[in-house]
Amino acid sequence: MIETVDLVKHYRASDGSVVRAVDGVSLTVAPGEMVGLLGANGAGKTTTLRVLATLLKPTSGTARVGGCDVLADPLGARRHLGYLSATTGVPDRLSAREIMRSYGRLHGLEERHLTRRIDDLVRVLGLVDFADRPTGRLSSGQRQRVSLARALVHDPPAIVLDEPTNALDVVGARDLLHLLDGLRGEGRAILLSTHRLHEIEHRCDRFVIIHGGRVVAAGTPAEIVGPHGSLEAAFFAAIEPASVESGASGTPA
Amino acid sequence: MNAPGSRPSDRSRWPGEIGAALAVASFQLGRMVSRQRLLLAGLGVIFPAAVMLAVRRTAALGLDRDLAVAMIYALVPEAVCMLGLLVTMCPAVADELERGTWIHLAVRPGGRRALLVGTYLAAVIWTSTVAILAAALAVFVAGVSKPVPLVGMLGALVLLSSVGRAALFALPAVILPKRALVASVGVALVVEYLAGFIPAVVNQATVSLRLRSLLVSWMSWRRQLPIEIQLLIDPQPAWVQISAIFALAAVLLVVAVKILEYRQFPPSTEI
Repeated sequence: MIETVDLVKHYRASDGSVVRAVDGVSLTVAPGEMVGLLGANGAGKTTTLRVLATLLKPTSGTARVGGCDVLADPLGARRHLGYLSATTGVPDRLSAREIMRSYGRLHGLEERHLTRRIDDLVRVLGLVDFADRPTGRLSSGQRQRVSLARALVHDPPAIVLDEPTNALDVVGARDLLHLLDGLRGEGRAILLSTHRLHEIEHRCDRFVIIHGGRVVAAGTPAEIVGPHGSLEAAFFAAIEPASVESGASGTPA
Repeated sequence: MNAPGSRPSDRSRWPGEIGAALAVASFQLGRMVSRQRLLLAGLGVIFPAAVMLAVRRTAALGLDRDLAVAMIYALVPEAVCMLGLLVTMCPAVADELERGTWIHLAVRPGGRRALLVGTYLAAVIWTSTVAILAAALAVFVAGVSKPVPLVGMLGALVLLSSVGRAALFALPAVILPKRALVASVGVALVVEYLAGFIPAVVNQATVSLRLRSLLVSWMSWRRQLPIEIQLLIDPQPAWVQISAIFALAAVLLVVAVKILEYRQFPPSTEI
């Protein structure tokens, strides 16, 4: 459902040098699977996710969402994708319902179908108490739920989340992750990047650890965590030898 | 919740794209109805009338109709429309980048196109409304004879000015989103007011030539103009001038949409 093969993304920096933000990343996320994309700041997580979201074009390699290549068929990839980031970017003066309606119309959803879909999302994502209130008056957690509702308004089978719990407190983060569990249960493919390892240690089906734009470890929790005792220890074990060997420098995430 | 995977084949493409652009236009118009924007619009409505009032008071024998029309033309279809469009069209992309909404729009199938076309429609509607009110008030204050047809003519010029120049400002908005305002002022000065006044092929692609020519034609001023001024006017009939503005706007908008569809903004571009 979500796939990258030897994905490379190079930027030209202002001094003319080439920054290798992503350097041959391959990963897959199957329907009904949640995969955690882990890495330090500048590892290439956000760039990888933005290529999948068709916001950036790959330098080489392929990226597919729902079988649609992001370069050859970006519209197809977008139709299959729900994207959520740490910055909620919800307009303060609009309510959750108005935001969902606006974005649903961007997908060309038929009005009656859209109304049903919004009612559905309001119920399932727990927006009932504040769905008609301007989002400027909502808490960070409530705004992130609204952002999730916006990402799901077109019923995408693949969801990409870029550090979605960054701005949330413990309760908000827990609630959001519970919602993601539910979405995985419905058969959606979820690719999630985060720095908060403890939040996803027992939640993801697989982990992909990237460092300096390259995959340095990938596998199931048993394969990644097993020998180290915790995801955090496994994460450091994966990136520290890589730092020493490649001398990889941080690139903007 | 439903099982995931609504498919695009469920939806008709063109009504969907028009609906998406209208959704953005309605969203942008809603955003414009704020205290600051309404205050700015109020100033835009009052300013030309205030100038006309001041001029009328200094003219002991009353204001000449042709002079009043020329002044209102300079103040409204030129100045008010330019300023209104600079405020509403230039930040089309920069606003979304700053508010963190760009990524959420750009990951929708027709999001980029809908953003630009919707913002264009909102800019034209908002600016035209303000400018038509400004023209009507200025004509009333100037106290000229036969004011109603005059307001109709100025209203048509306002609409054409907004249609053409909003498309012109769409280019800087997508090419240099963070410097769109400065770039648009440069484009206005260089393209509209420098190239537009060069009596050569280059001025054929400017809105200012078309508007001037329409004004001269509709006011039947052509025979009274000195020969050197006639060089700055296109003698083609009105329908040619109007068609040229719509064609120019269509070309500029298509180019701007194509550029925006290929633009990549690295994460550091967002605030």
